[in-house]
Amino acid sequence: MHTDRLRPVLLPVAAVAVAVAIGAAIVLAAGASPVAAATAIWVAAFSGTDAIAATLEKATPLLFAGLAVIVGVRAGLFNIGAQGQLLVGAITSAYAGYRLAGLPPAVHLPLCLAIGILSGALPALLAGVLRATRGVHEVIVTIMLNTILVNLTDWLAGGPWMEQGQPVSRTPAIAGSARMARVAGLPVGFLLAVAMAFVVWFVLDRTTFGFRLATVGANRNAAHYAGISVAGATVAAMTLSGALAGLGGAVESLGIVGRFEPGFNAGLGFDGITIALLARVSPRAVIPAAVLIGALRASSTQLQARARLAPEIVDVVLAIALLLVAAPLILRWLLRLRPGSCRTEVQLTRGWGA
Amino acid sequence: MYTKKATFGTVALAGLLALSLGATACGSGGSASAKPVEAPIAMKGFSGDCASKDVFCVGLVTDVGKVDDKSFNQSAWQGAARAAVAAGGHAEYIETVDPKDYAKNIQSFLDRKADVVVTVGFAIGDATATAAKANPAVHFIGVDAFQATTIPNLTGLVFNEDKAGFMAGALAGLLTKTNVVAAVLGTDKVPPVVAFGKGWENGAKFTNPKVKVLTTYHPGGLDVAFNDPTWGAQTAKQALDNTADVIFGAGGKTGNGALLEVARQQGAYCVGVDSDQWETVPGARGCLVTSAEKDIEDGVATLIGQIRDGSVKGGNSFGEVGLAPFHDFEEKVPAAVKTKIEGIVRDIGSGKIPTGVN
Amino acid sequence: MKRSWTGRPVPPNGLVAGSLLAAAFVAYGIWGFRATAVLGFAVRSSTPLALAAMCGILCERTGVINIGIEGQMLLGAFAGFFGAAAFGVVAGVAAAVVLGALVGAFLALCAVTWRVDQIIAGAVINIAAAGFTSFLYRPGRVIGSLPTWRIPLLGDLPLLGPVLFRAQPLTYLTFVVVIGLQVALFRTPWGRRTTAVGEHPGAADTVGIDVARYRYGNVVAGGALAGLAGALLSVEITGSFDRGMTAGRGFLALAIVIMGRWRPALAWAAALFFGVLSGLVNQLNFDRVFDVPPQFVAMLPYATTIVVLAIFSTRVRPPAAAGRPYP
Repeated sequence: MHTDRLRPVLLPVAAVAVAVAIGAAIVLAAGASPVAAATAIWVAAFSGTDAIAATLEKATPLLFAGLAVIVGVRAGLFNIGAQGQLLVGAITSAYAGYRLAGLPPAVHLPLCLAIGILSGALPALLAGVLRATRGVHEVIVTIMLNTILVNLTDWLAGGPWMEQGQPVSRTPAIAGSARMARVAGLPVGFLLAVAMAFVVWFVLDRTTFGFRLATVGANRNAAHYAGISVAGATVAAMTLSGALAGLGGAVESLGIVGRFEPGFNAGLGFDGITIALLARVSPRAVIPAAVLIGALRASSTQLQARARLAPEIVDVVLAIALLLVAAPLILRWLLRLRPGSCRTEVQLTRGWGA
Repeated sequence: MYTKKATFGTVALAGLLALSLGATACGSGGSASAKPVEAPIAMKGFSGDCASKDVFCVGLVTDVGKVDDKSFNQSAWQGAARAAVAAGGHAEYIETVDPKDYAKNIQSFLDRKADVVVTVGFAIGDATATAAKANPAVHFIGVDAFQATTIPNLTGLVFNEDKAGFMAGALAGLLTKTNVVAAVLGTDKVPPVVAFGKGWENGAKFTNPKVKVLTTYHPGGLDVAFNDPTWGAQTAKQALDNTADVIFGAGGKTGNGALLEVARQQGAYCVGVDSDQWETVPGARGCLVTSAEKDIEDGVATLIGQIRDGSVKGGNSFGEVGLAPFHDFEEKVPAAVKTKIEGIVRDIGSGKIPTGVN
Repeated sequence: MKRSWTGRPVPPNGLVAGSLLAAAFVAYGIWGFRATAVLGFAVRSSTPLALAAMCGILCERTGVINIGIEGQMLLGAFAGFFGAAAFGVVAGVAAAVVLGALVGAFLALCAVTWRVDQIIAGAVINIAAAGFTSFLYRPGRVIGSLPTWRIPLLGDLPLLGPVLFRAQPLTYLTFVVVIGLQVALFRTPWGRRTTAVGEHPGAADTVGIDVARYRYGNVVAGGALAGLAGALLSVEITGSFDRGMTAGRGFLALAIVIMGRWRPALAWAAALFFGVLSGLVNQLNFDRVFDVPPQFVAMLPYATTIVVLAIFSTRVRPPAAAGRPYP
């Protein structure tokens, strides 16, 4: 009995361990030293307060993006547009951050966060409404919106909202009253993200609302006959998903970058998909998954400086880890584990959800 | 049945691995039909004690990108490595993956007591200035980073891209037979690209008032605008279909795609950007009449030499801009055109002809 | 009106194609070479998207969702370029197709045999492809280019000649693949069985169709097409490989599959629609028709797509079993 309880934890841990072993082999094959690589990651990601803070800062947007993807998946929706929603959240909160300078911090910071949340929710709401009322697939709409929003934010940052008197496309710096500081060496944004992970867990796993989303995600027809509003759940899940992504963008701007600058938030939304998968669509498991990837991403400087490794090695290791988490069968075969229950596979696809 | 499937799967997986290893093998060695391009200078790394006065160490931090980008990161690295070796010292680079790491990457060289830190690209300019103020004993070079205020230990290596673009455009205006020339550009959000494009346009109109200049920017975010050779090639073809016969490709890999497409068409010229692309994009030699050059490599090397002998100054140092050699087109460009262009290059350099770009 | 075996009306492809052709000639009559330039751009930019979408259609029709097309294309582009650099362009294209098929086999292995979640398997392919190609890439290689074939007589036609019949080999191959798949899916026993496996694998199984074999076959074939799409980018169009050069085309292909309602010809039409809009963006920039920031012009195709779908979308229905392992 206790093996079954342990299995969900054991599996990802073993997967990461095996992935790291395979990664070490690749490092060797590339003519570098795995020991140096491991030292580099340790030094960069965990040795001392600054390193830990750097890791957590990298993990923060990934945590939000991962949660955003999870909320969608629970309702059978694939929000591939977290990237775009995160960008809008990042730029609008930055705008509010410099434009409304002079407000007291107790008002300014929450206001900026709220603006980021709302503006991230908006495009996702559009996708949700189109899905619910017109049957337009959210994957198409969010892919389209990603491109639209990248262009919109590039234009804003290089046009009307650009910092004057210098050539770089970027907004002015956010006023001190809206900046998120570190508390006891920990970035506040990360604490917020962790809190949010627990909120999302509670909402999805412990409330009627979460149950409704899950029912819609599992079987739309059954949900409909059970009297659940499929349209309502779709719109709500997408909006919530976008709000989380938008909050992630806002925390990036207010807590880490200090302004909005195109290119500074690239790829975070897509990393969110990876994190959600690595965490097997569990909101609480997103926390260690995000910290792990944050640590790997934070070590790109030291991997080059100490181990003379191309930073892409991180992606290679991640892909292997993800595969092993996704396919316990391979892992069992590799580790010669006793075949257990067949139900350990994570199942997040529920078709295109017609 | 189940076992059969599994076996097939295992074979497939094994094959995949074998093939990917095979691809590595041909990626790292073997022979190419044409002359191979110069790969970036390999990194030897700091050896010895950089903190010591006798050991000269140069660290380079790239803009988001790699030192093998056939473009400004590679040129800057080559300049830094060359100058470091000439001074009997060492050079190392760190490739930035995430722009949020600019400061961290610079700091890693300061921690290791580098004597000179070179940063590439204007986006990293702020992080460089901050580091320079905090570390007055180290000299910094900011490639493409214009200095509005002077910091004594930070030299911005900047270029008048509009001048290089103007020279190339002037040549295009003289070479075109259809009176249509085109520019396929990266993004309007990066000032040097815009300066190249506007200079090109004004230059073409300077030598040929009848000319029509077609200009377009990549319609994507900054993350793909310089990395979409497919779009570059197809847009260049569209420009050719619009009867353009001299095409300027300026925008990293996107621009390179444009050059490669023009090289496949008969009777059209192409113009490269940044470095002499005859060296970096050999596939474009069939059309490449010249490149609008900014000499980052020599600029970086010269500044490092000045740091070595103590003659360096803070503020801005303007690097050389100009036109690359005609190479294969030496015979095909009429002598009259050459003479005229030489004059324009001289007058642009001296400022006698304004480029009309602010 | 003719109906497919599922009872849905088959759109009159001939009529649609005919009216599009007529519209193209009207445009040519008004704008001359500008119409040729825009439509030429449209056709050229549609080919990699169409091939990638064919991969998506093959996979999803048979019940396997493939979001790893982007990664398969990138690996195809990589294998195509380095294969061509080492052994010539034909070998390069072959290497791209083989690597694409192998990655397809891996996806099938995950989806069918290992019952891994298909979205995850696809995401793994994307991340691994980006990581490996970037890690293994070495600069400094050059390859020969594929020839341009001018089809006799057809190549001399006004408008259609330069747009369709003066192209490179893989472009013609794309035309053949799209038309061939359209016929095969709707007119052959293989097509009916493929659709059955994607719609109702249980029923297909009871009438003696080997569901696993069909899924393996189609996902591998789809992978080969995605690899070919990659070769199209690196070997045919640019003659170079650069990290991340697919630039999101594999994701756009997912949207095209859905817009094309899982039908090859319609998906190609959707790819052409994107191509026409992007070509128009370039042409408007070239001709300085209006002076708006390029970012806004760039949003045009994507915003138009959303609006068009919002207005005209009847509820698009994907294959019922897409994404679900069987048994």
